Amino acid sequence: MSRTLFQVLGVAAVLLLVVLLLQFARAPLDAEAPAAGASPATAWGEPDLQGIWTRTTNEPLQRPARFKDREFLTDEERAEFNNKISDIVGRESDENRRPRGTEQDVSGGYSAAVFTSHLPVGRRTSMIVDPPDGRIPALTAQEQNKRNDLREYAFALLQATDVCKNKLLACTGWKYGPPSARRAQVPPSYIMEGIVGGGGGGINRSDGPEDRILSERCLSSSLPDFGGFRRIVQSKGQVAIFYDVGQGQGWQRIIPISASPHLPATVRLWWGDSRGRWEGNTLVVDVTNFSPKSNFQGAHENLHLVERWTRTDAETLQYTVTIEDATVWTGPWTVTLDLKKQDDKANRIYTEPRCHEGNYGLATMLAGAREDERAFVAGRGPDPATKCLAGCGGFAGGFAEEGDDANPIR
Amino acid sequence: MASQFRGSTVVVALASAVISVLVTVAVVTRTSNRFSQADAPPRTADGKPDFSGIWQALNEAHWDLEAHEARPGAVMQQGVYPYEYARVPAAPVLALGAAAGVPGSVGVVGDDGKIPYKPEAAKIKTENGEHWIDRDPELKCYLPGIPRAMYMPYPFQIVQSANKIQVAFAFSTAARTIHLDDVEGPPDLTYMGHSAGRWDSDTLVVDVTEFNGRNWFDRAGNYHSEALHLTERFTPISKDAIQYEVTIEDPNVFTRPWKISMPLYRRLEPNAQLLEYRCMEFAEEFMYGGLRKQPLVHHWEGETLIVDIKRKAIERDKLHDWYRR
Repeated sequence: MSRTLFQVLGVAAVLLLVVLLLQFARAPLDAEAPAAGASPATAWGEPDLQGIWTRTTNEPLQRPARFKDREFLTDEERAEFNNKISDIVGRESDENRRPRGTEQDVSGGYSAAVFTSHLPVGRRTSMIVDPPDGRIPALTAQEQNKRNDLREYAFALLQATDVCKNKLLACTGWKYGPPSARRAQVPPSYIMEGIVGGGGGGINRSDGPEDRILSERCLSSSLPDFGGFRRIVQSKGQVAIFYDVGQGQGWQRIIPISASPHLPATVRLWWGDSRGRWEGNTLVVDVTNFSPKSNFQGAHENLHLVERWTRTDAETLQYTVTIEDATVWTGPWTVTLDLKKQDDKANRIYTEPRCHEGNYGLATMLAGAREDERAFVAGRGPDPATKCLAGCGGFAGGFAEEGDDANPIR
Repeated sequence: MASQFRGSTVVVALASAVISVLVTVAVVTRTSNRFSQADAPPRTADGKPDFSGIWQALNEAHWDLEAHEARPGAVMQQGVYPYEYARVPAAPVLALGAAAGVPGSVGVVGDDGKIPYKPEAAKIKTENGEHWIDRDPELKCYLPGIPRAMYMPYPFQIVQSANKIQVAFAFSTAARTIHLDDVEGPPDLTYMGHSAGRWDSDTLVVDVTEFNGRNWFDRAGNYHSEALHLTERFTPISKDAIQYEVTIEDPNVFTRPWKISMPLYRRLEPNAQLLEYRCMEFAEEFMYGGLRKQPLVHHWEGETLIVDIKRKAIERDKLHDWYRR
């Protein structure tokens, strides 16, 4: 064999090797090299977060004061709480416990417990892991003043009702009085829910759709969200999450894995503008550009989130979110949840039936308010200002606000 | 030495040429023979066409699937001249001028271009068209259904994984999951249907069933019942276009299966992004405005909204030079 042929074969072999190596090298290069580690990876090399996920235990958002610096409950405490909750749900079948013949009986004070599913009590004493006391940081002075204004307006609309006449819990901090002239005023904020009465109640007025809370308008569901189910589907550089939450008020987001800047500040979105990146096995998402109409715990357009999604084992997806809004809170705070993988075949994630297509509630509440006004004018009914339509208190999250039927972990 | 070096250079060049041809042939064979390298559709890690990205139809099917000529208004009334072709825009859209017209189209329906309605269903379709504003679920921001969501004038985004293909629509934040694996169906009939997909070579074939029969196909009043069964076929025609073909069967409404076909185009803007169009809020005045304590529109009679158009006419001497002010 000639020396030239050897040279040719040698060069060809090297070229072939280079071509092969390039083929092998391509996948990790394209995937921007997240470390595979122990977590499952997609065929294109990004961490695999796909599937249906939900919480399987319940923890209070904020740590009840009595647990102070304790981060975890003992197994015995959890069993005791589970038994107490089970008793409350069982007792609710007793007709005598209802405040019969009152407005509360027909506006949330009925046996709501049996309509609420309770997850087993989880280990943590709060979803909030930072600050270390497990509590939402104090409001800024500016926000405290704003909320006082909102409360005064909301109480003024409630003051002529039985809620204040009978000194029910929802009227704490206010007094019974005649119908207020403030009923004719535009509310001091677009978002007036969760101000008085607990349970996300709105203002005691139904002049038009805006007076009703977002969930009654099928416009609830906000980010971050700590309940319900999520379906995650990924393709290279895109993570789609559908949130099955809020009785048919589900929604979806597609998080681009992108270093591109956020949308212009003039573009405001209900669920904000998300930009994702991989840090090792963790999907880190920065969310800004929220709308003034969006509402998370009283934060609106200045809300900023940094979310972290990590597979911690085959069945667990840990979701951690740091929440900040310097106009609302004096510091950032962080929530952690463990989401558990659900059966893909059972496919129990529902985009339908959806709230909006069957929203008879909003139309009938408005129609009812108009009928009340006509009846009053005709001398057939009471002054509508004396009837409680919202913010009346009652049950929240399946528990009474006080007494034996209140949440035992409060 | 010098000549030997030159000789080996030539041989190396030949060898690398052979190798590159072999590699190219391998790549082309793996993708498809129909496409040049530059135009080859992207593929997933398992070699299927990858439809991930933001897409939008670019046609007039959302106005009317069938061929139609342009019309002066989405809502019209008889003009001063009593001819069908001399109708003029009616109050609900009059204030929008030429922006309220309907563009013409050669249609997207296959065969003879006609939707094969049963006689009684054809009557309902005609009535639907006449009562468009009252009856079209789109105006209420209801879930648009399939196939309508695929060719509305809003973008949608596909996230394609091995077992699931998630489709997010801007309109009404509607969602659709195409299941390539075996899953249980929905517990009840739906607006968006239940989508079960499979691959037929390079074509994604999707069977869609479990419809609740409350959707329309377009703004012309074309409709279907809960017996609707769709067979969709998504075939790549370039890296930035998909041929979308649907066979439509509904024995309650049509005399035979029929087809629509159209391309879907990739949104090529480098910063393309699906923005929410949460229109339930936009439809509140339309749906509940008559129940306000003080209606914004003053001509509600019971549940009927009577639209009264007020628009300041241009002063005659400024008719053609208003823009100079």
